[in-house]
Amino acid sequence: MSSFLIHLLTLVCLYAMMALGLNLQAGYAGMVNFGFIAFAGLGAYAAGIASQLGWPLPAALLLALAAAAVLAVATARLGRQLSSDYWGIATLAIAEILRTVALNESWLTGGAQGIGGIRPLFADLPSPWRDLAFLALAALCLALVYGGYARIIHSRFGRALKVMREETSLAVCFGYDPVSLKMRASVAAALPAALAGGLLTYYISYVGPDVMVPSETFALWTIVMVGGLGSNLGVLLGGLLVQSVYSFAPFLKDWLGVSSDLAGAVRLGLVGLMLLACLLWRPRGLLPERLEALS
Amino acid sequence: MLQFLLDVLIRTSDLLLVSVGLSTLYSLIRFPNVAHVQYAMLGAFLSLAGQRAGLPLGLAAALSCVLVGCLAVLLNIFVFMRLLRSGSAVAMIGSLAVSLIAVALVLSTAGSRPLQYTQDISAPLTLDGVAVSSAQAGSIACGALTLLIFSVLLYRTNLGRSMRALASNRALALASGIDANRVTNLITFASGVLAALGGTMLGLTESVHVNLGNNLLIPVFSAAILGGLGNPLGAAAGALLIALAETLVINVDFGSLVGRSMQFFPVAYVSAVSFLILLVTLMVRPYGIFDREVRRV
Amino acid sequence: MTSLLELDGIAIRYGGNTVLSGLTLSIDSGEIVGLLGPNGSGKSTVLNAVTGFTPLASGSIRFDGRRIDPLAPHRIAQRGIRRTFQLPSMPTRMSVLELTMAASSEHHQLCAALLRGRATRRIEHATHARASALLEQLKLTAVAHLPAASISGGQKKLLSIACAMMTEPKLLLLDEPTAGVHPNLRGELIDELRRIHGLGVTLVVIEHDMHFIRELCERCVVLDRGAAIANCKPAELDKNRRVLDAYLGRAHRTARPLEAP
Repeated sequence: MSSFLIHLLTLVCLYAMMALGLNLQAGYAGMVNFGFIAFAGLGAYAAGIASQLGWPLPAALLLALAAAAVLAVATARLGRQLSSDYWGIATLAIAEILRTVALNESWLTGGAQGIGGIRPLFADLPSPWRDLAFLALAALCLALVYGGYARIIHSRFGRALKVMREETSLAVCFGYDPVSLKMRASVAAALPAALAGGLLTYYISYVGPDVMVPSETFALWTIVMVGGLGSNLGVLLGGLLVQSVYSFAPFLKDWLGVSSDLAGAVRLGLVGLMLLACLLWRPRGLLPERLEALS
Repeated sequence: MLQFLLDVLIRTSDLLLVSVGLSTLYSLIRFPNVAHVQYAMLGAFLSLAGQRAGLPLGLAAALSCVLVGCLAVLLNIFVFMRLLRSGSAVAMIGSLAVSLIAVALVLSTAGSRPLQYTQDISAPLTLDGVAVSSAQAGSIACGALTLLIFSVLLYRTNLGRSMRALASNRALALASGIDANRVTNLITFASGVLAALGGTMLGLTESVHVNLGNNLLIPVFSAAILGGLGNPLGAAAGALLIALAETLVINVDFGSLVGRSMQFFPVAYVSAVSFLILLVTLMVRPYGIFDREVRRV
Repeated sequence: MTSLLELDGIAIRYGGNTVLSGLTLSIDSGEIVGLLGPNGSGKSTVLNAVTGFTPLASGSIRFDGRRIDPLAPHRIAQRGIRRTFQLPSMPTRMSVLELTMAASSEHHQLCAALLRGRATRRIEHATHARASALLEQLKLTAVAHLPAASISGGQKKLLSIACAMMTEPKLLLLDEPTAGVHPNLRGELIDELRRIHGLGVTLVVIEHDMHFIRELCERCVVLDRGAAIANCKPAELDKNRRVLDAYLGRAHRTARPLEAP
């Protein structure tokens, strides 16, 4: 049972990292991104491809970060021309196209089979310690991202975002360039997601097109909205809740003997219901963003 | 050439009804309802269920349209209108959630394999050497007819006038006594019916499967946005354009450009085509080609 | 006195409407100029044009000798121009103090925020101190920790001024600063604006309150239907025939109804 707990907590850490990024981009920069998983997916694939080419871990992760940064800048630039509703759909489409590329370009991504057999981290350690070590690494990364974001939000940059998200004209009058703010926030949002994606690849020793299905973005949105848009602490809570639901669904297959279609459906349905319930009855989330107390 | 035209028409009719419904609805509810494409998927499955229960296909389809229309209205009243109070972004996220739930429901009851309606195996019609199945011909005819009826509804009836009034100047329309809720619900019903019909037709010409809605998402939104959201006839034109572009790209032999004998555009990336067209158009004309979109205040 | 702001033959059109036509105006450094005119005469449009929110159909605007009309609005603000709005709209999820601290756009680099070195912390400290001092000056200390959107309309006007003063602007454009402000506070507002002027800020004030204009402004420019029809001292206004024609030809509004507290 405890190995399941370690597994669950590891996934919580990784998905919370991704959700923190979405929280920054959507909650602070006001950019409603429905294809956010593409950052994690790019990171996952970059790490996988680099690892297959024999690159060491740090280099692979750096490639992951670079790829996500490029995508972040590209999609942020797109936001200049498009209104926010359209931009949301555009990001959804971009993520889908990237997934289609991953599915079809077997020479690069292994196609539908993906890239497997990636040498996991800490492979030399005996069994429980290997997973614990990875959990420690994931938790450390999460802590760093969380701390980094706290610094960003309580800085002048964070305040600029807060003005811009609600009153763009006011932000402009203060001398802020919304395009520049959004672009930097997008990159800051994409990097942890890519890191989490890369780490995920090393964790499960595999990367495939399913890492980027739209329902993954929706899961991230559920994590963010359940916790409260703009609340980093809420993201941690949301991550715990959603990942628990996610991880229990496969058990249904074993306990009740249902088909994998049904188990997948239940997973999707539960996440959808969670999101809808949250939006209808707790639109500000369980741990909503509070007014900052400045001494 | 005739085959090409036929392919374009078939693809247009695939997209037409769903795009028109989406575009019309946007002018009233002011947020992009991503769940709309799932109404098409639900419509296809309900028609199938009706046929499997013993009803003739036409009746099953009619029933399915009515059911989906009602569902659309219920969802609008109890979910989307409430979510809209928190902003259009929240409403859009909510529509994503509804989408997820719809897909999950169908996946759990019908599984992930594609299914087919039972159709009479009739010999396809041949025109000038080009084969058209009766389902395809039916789909095109149905699409054209429905578009005609819908246009009449929109431009010649009181309901249509009220809808256009509400869409262009809500405050003034309300002040002149138009019952916004009634009009919105009626139009929501109509767009649900259109989506279900479109989905059923698509199920006829291709197959009924759980990803039917998801596959429609990008092309349908592209078509609706191209024509200008809130401009139903524009959406029809948008559907035609997208269908044209997709068919063109798939059928043109790019071999001469690339120096190989036969080089075709990979089919998997077809949706990328409609998306790219949309992006390029929006850069040049941010409110759609016809620039008659209802601007959100 | 050097010319700080020069509008040269500017014209602005909204759709088919010509809102401003051939307007030429010059403001010297250190002046307090009132901008008057009946509703619809284009006063707010002049402010929008100067701050870059509305593009010019023709003409040019120069600030400190350099053209600013082709620049993006945030760049114009960075040159030292600040403005307030007629109906200030404030964020709901920021406190008054936080918003005031945000009003200065220097040093907002992402990396500096992450590293939070000694220089960054010093700047934060200084920003906090300056913002607190400004709020105290404008009697907003009591509401400093409330959400900025929840304070009264008059307080929002004062907050706008506090935000504008965070960066020591060269030019401050005020759009109806007394509208919605309690008459008792108007005297304090005039004192505050005079104090700001004493610090070297040039003021351009759009107003309908003639008493306010007479007390504060050295010079008035009157607009009517997009063109300047008078440019004189406040005292001379009621002798100017064109001004009288412009105002008496319409329902003349002397004072706004008080905003409910």
